Amino acid sequence: MNSHDVTVLGYLVVLLAGVILELLATRTRAPIPPLGKVFAWAMGTRARRIGVLVAWAWVGLHFFAR
Amino acid sequence: MTGSPGCGGPGQPPSQDQPATGEPPGDRTAPGTGEQPAGGPPPAGGDAGPGHGATTLTAASTGHGATTPLAASTGHGATSPAAARAGPVVTALAGLREPIVVILLLIAFFTWISGKSLDGMLMLVVAVSLAWDTGRRRTRRDGPPEGSPADNAPPDFSAAAGRDDAGSTGPTPHPDAPPASARRRRLLLLAWLAGGALYVVLVGSFSRYSWPATVPVAGLGAAVVVAGWRGPRHSRPAPARLPAIGLALWGLVLVAGCLWELSSLFEQPTLTTSSYAHPTISTLTDPVLSAWAGRSIFLAAWLGLGWFLVER
Repeated sequence: MNSHDVTVLGYLVVLLAGVILELLATRTRAPIPPLGKVFAWAMGTRARRIGVLVAWAWVGLHFFAR
Repeated sequence: MTGSPGCGGPGQPPSQDQPATGEPPGDRTAPGTGEQPAGGPPPAGGDAGPGHGATTLTAASTGHGATTPLAASTGHGATSPAAARAGPVVTALAGLREPIVVILLLIAFFTWISGKSLDGMLMLVVAVSLAWDTGRRRTRRDGPPEGSPADNAPPDFSAAAGRDDAGSTGPTPHPDAPPASARRRRLLLLAWLAGGALYVVLVGSFSRYSWPATVPVAGLGAAVVVAGWRGPRHSRPAPARLPAIGLALWGLVLVAGCLWELSSLFEQPTLTTSSYAHPTISTLTDPVLSAWAGRSIFLAAWLGLGWFLVER
């Protein structure tokens, strides 16, 4: 396993952790909110709402804008 | 809720719709932080409205934030002498206590040094604007934070009792709505979908990092951020308090992903030269986004996520 594989594996682990959290939130009674409710909470104040929307805009800019 | 009797006129006790503190217990922040919990209809065209005055007087009558007569009559919290003396720089520096501002500044910095000057500049503009806005509200010692009365509404804990707040009061037409209204909503939805499809196909046909791709993406991103500044699109109950442990776990995943991406970025030969050995997410997605179909699918997902967020 070279460093490329390790790096990709790291991303996959993070992604898998998110999937596991979502499954725990929706399929069990664990005190974990589903991602949708986390977003709803995050949009609850102006500062957090702007932070989330800017992060979304940044993704588009990062991949498409010069 | 603005026009409801529960708004509370002068001398009336605070109603359930109008917490005297202006801060809901479900998302309480430090006093004077100026946080604006959402959960109600956005202000119509701005922060001011006739209902604000009632809220202000209610707060004053209960001893939470004494209000000047001017503030009471206009509905705005009066600016204290200290705030009046504070210049824009001092006001913006006061806003640095908001963690989101610091995070945005860090993203702006790292984006800038990695060669994406436009992204960095836009992030910097938003960060400074948010710092100034937050600082301005924090230096207003008298009166409640700005925002519509609905913004100050207490959380509806019935949301925690099993009702999915994601779709409880959204754009879904009321079952008793007249057919013409439902038809208009469907037409509007179809128009949005057609516009989105056209956007995805058209912008996806442009090569990445070109001006024809940059302008529509930057324009849409800026428009959504500006719209988000005015408040949530829909009137909906504020989400109930979420379990801290659950939020921490989601935060941990987010931070871990960001740190892993950052470590890959710093492992590159230079910040602007990609590395096969330590690929960033951008490097990994390059093959997909080099084709028209890949760009269009990515743009569709980006638009869908944006719509999802705006509907929160």
